[in-house]
Amino acid sequence: MSSIYQRLISLLLIVFPGTAISEDWYRWRGPHLDGISTETRLNCDWKNDQAKLAWKAQVGTGFSSVVVKDKRAFTLGHVDDQDVVYCLDVDDGNQQWKFGYPAELGDRDFEGGPTSTPTIDDDRVYVLARAGELFCFDAASGKVNWRKQVADEASVRLPGWGFSAAPLVVGEMLLLNMGESGVAIDKRTGELIWSSADRECGYATPVVVGEGASAVAIFASGKAYTGVEAKSGKQLWSERWLTSFNCNAADPIVHDGKMFLSSGYNRGAALFDMTGETPSLIWKSKEMKNQIHGCLLYKEHLYGIDGDMESGARLRCMEWSTGEVVWSVDDLHPGGLAIAGGRLILLTEPGELVVAPASPQGWTPTSRATVTGRKSWTAPVISGGRIFCRSIDGLVVCVDCRE
Amino acid sequence: MRRRTFIAGTAAATALVSAPKIRAASKDKKYRTALIGSGWWGMNILREALAAGQTSVVALCDVDQDRLEIAAEEVNDLSGDSPRTYADYRELFEKEDVEIAIIATPDHWHALNTLAAIEAGAHVFIEKPTGHTIGESQAILAASRASDRIIQVGLHRRIGPHHVSGMKFLKDGGAGDVGMVRMFVHSRGGIENPSKNSDPPENLDWEMYCGPAPLRPYCRQIHPGGFRHYLDFANGTLGDWGVHWLDQMLWWCDQQSPKTVYSTGGRPVRGEAILTESEQTSDAPDSQIATYEFENFTATWEHRRFAGQGPEQTSIGCYFFGDKGTFHIGWRDGWTFYPADSKQQIIHQDSQLQEPDGHNMQLLWADFLHSIETGKQPTANIEIGHQATTASLLGMLSLKLGRSVRWDGEKEQVIGDDEANRLLKREYRAPWTYPAIG
Ligand SMILES: NC(=O)c1ccc[n+]([C@@H]2O[C@H](COP(=O)([O-])OP(=O)(O)OC[C@H]3O[C@@H](n4cnc5c(N)ncnc54)[C@H](O)[C@@H]3O)[C@@H](O)[C@H]2O)c1
Repeated sequence: MSSIYQRLISLLLIVFPGTAISEDWYRWRGPHLDGISTETRLNCDWKNDQAKLAWKAQVGTGFSSVVVKDKRAFTLGHVDDQDVVYCLDVDDGNQQWKFGYPAELGDRDFEGGPTSTPTIDDDRVYVLARAGELFCFDAASGKVNWRKQVADEASVRLPGWGFSAAPLVVGEMLLLNMGESGVAIDKRTGELIWSSADRECGYATPVVVGEGASAVAIFASGKAYTGVEAKSGKQLWSERWLTSFNCNAADPIVHDGKMFLSSGYNRGAALFDMTGETPSLIWKSKEMKNQIHGCLLYKEHLYGIDGDMESGARLRCMEWSTGEVVWSVDDLHPGGLAIAGGRLILLTEPGELVVAPASPQGWTPTSRATVTGRKSWTAPVISGGRIFCRSIDGLVVCVDCRE
Repeated sequence: MRRRTFIAGTAAATALVSAPKIRAASKDKKYRTALIGSGWWGMNILREALAAGQTSVVALCDVDQDRLEIAAEEVNDLSGDSPRTYADYRELFEKEDVEIAIIATPDHWHALNTLAAIEAGAHVFIEKPTGHTIGESQAILAASRASDRIIQVGLHRRIGPHHVSGMKFLKDGGAGDVGMVRMFVHSRGGIENPSKNSDPPENLDWEMYCGPAPLRPYCRQIHPGGFRHYLDFANGTLGDWGVHWLDQMLWWCDQQSPKTVYSTGGRPVRGEAILTESEQTSDAPDSQIATYEFENFTATWEHRRFAGQGPEQTSIGCYFFGDKGTFHIGWRDGWTFYPADSKQQIIHQDSQLQEPDGHNMQLLWADFLHSIETGKQPTANIEIGHQATTASLLGMLSLKLGRSVRWDGEKEQVIGDDEANRLLKREYRAPWTYPAIG
């Protein structure tokens, strides 16, 4: 039933590319895997800087973002020595189910808590725990279909801050960023399909280019971005990408035969031509250093958060083809970014939503409203005319922007 | 996620940013330059050196192969130079003909690195502190006196515009007669949970990292950058930030030596230091107070790595208290004079810093080159660096001893305290030997 519905949606998308009235944001960076919502009917004309807050919920400490499907919203948070998976009703925020598993807060250098985002596929929800356990839940009931300690099974080490990539469904497989260049799991059974060497992985979610037998999956490790044959895990190429603390956290962006990479800690960004056997450099720049958030690519421009989050990062617009900074705003304290209907939707670190046209012309906000009002570093999520915002200490706020 | 920013800066809006292109060389002479310690600050210095246009980077040294690779790539991007890379600075000085050496390793390496550089005939830009123990700094001072090489210490606050104008304001009597100085650095923080020890990453030569210091178990908190909170390698906040602010105070009082130093502090919030086979915490104090008694005034140092700024207007810098009012010299917040007479106007001057990281290395590097060209003493010469370092290390020494120390600034000896005098040096781990002084 729901897969027919899904096919219908994708049909609709083919007919009217780039616009939708309502779409499920069922996975990390959204249905189109680009952080951009195609929903156009979002009413963000907030009067007196006040948005319509439909509901609030508490989910515990963490950085996990929200995913939505079939009127259910899922996220993770740390509460009392457990990381907890929450299923909330999108209409009222009421908890439909929750499931906790023992976990350390793991607050080295940051507030701690889960950092990965759940992934919904059909009637199942997948959650990758920081310590490497993978859960498959029944989305409606919260029943655990199966759980696997994948890190042990694949004999790969934990990276410094634990696993944080969202699982990515590719056909019958789940791709996980673990080990040197990923791990693949049978999404039905949890069986290990292939794995990679025991090297420190990065924190970015895998990105797949192409389809079927020739699909290539790109994994960020602590030291490189590596392209592998999705079906076998065989390494095809590897672009060495050293970053302090092995912290490669931004998903690569592949577009138009090119690949954009960026990391923080003064690493910077680069664009590669991907039409040959191995990536070849087009440009490099220190002006876009994505520490934890990947950029959004919209109309040949990258919108992203440059610099160290803790010391005050900048919101920037950069031209895709040249790497030139088009504009930069230094005093915004960006916490997370999305795009919907041609507008940048910025959740600031102090928990305010600010809306502005996504345009190389400059940053010209049209409306703003306090939403979480607390330190927020997770990108806002748009689904069904609602914006879901989450603070680090676990306040989820649903902003109703339906007309 | 963390790190280097232990004090959140106030971000000022700046105009359009364009990618920094290689700035034009102004002079023909290019100095063959080597960087020892290619981490965060070392690369900040090297970027300034390259931007000044008189540097060709011949060699980079680090015990972390990844750092070396990243640094070499960046140097190549910035200048086209293809520096050779070394894991051992001794080999570097043996094989390369170095005219300028930049030393930006963790503190416990500064002396051995610098002495080797002077020995090799290089001018040296050395990061503060000039030693991990006072004897090391004395050894550098003696070696520099015996040579004609220029030694600049990375005390960029000696030359930063708001520091220079602030110091003029003070010395011109702007605050009246100053009778008390308070230096402070406060930040946020809480309890520190121990981190698990692990094998060092394959790219890191941990044995060489520890070098003359004890070979403690590796944990990823230490490297990069974290060493400053481990007393084996550094001296905590007083040995790091403290050197800058003590230097401002010594600049104001014309390089007097403290007569008596007393310090107390500990880890009441972070918790007791832990070091076991399986896990460890850092061990530097999370809060500390040190008093420095001079001939006719007293200065205090205070740091806290919790509670943040609190009700104060600022969380970093020095207050000079005079009969006309209170003068604050700060970092990003420039300087401000608060008149004692509240009817009078507050006087303020903004900082003029380079970003990222808010420093004035461009000026300090230019000053260094000028000294090399003219033979004149640089602005932050080794005497200055040595004194500021000594003052900070005397505070640490008193803290460790738990009693005050009387200091003979002429002889550079603690008066009547053999135990304290022994702490002017440390045991080196074999095969390294503690440098001879002079
Ligand atoms: N003047 C200033 O404002 C300022 C600011 C920051 C740091 N510093 C100073 O710079 C120094 C470095 O600090 P950082 O924050 O850059 O630390 P960092 O950890 O980023 O860099 C230090 C580097 O030295 C390397 N190293 C260790 N032992 C070595 C050896 N034997 N030979 C070669 N390399 C070795 C490490 O691997 C590391 O890459 C410190 O002494 C610090 O006090 C000064």
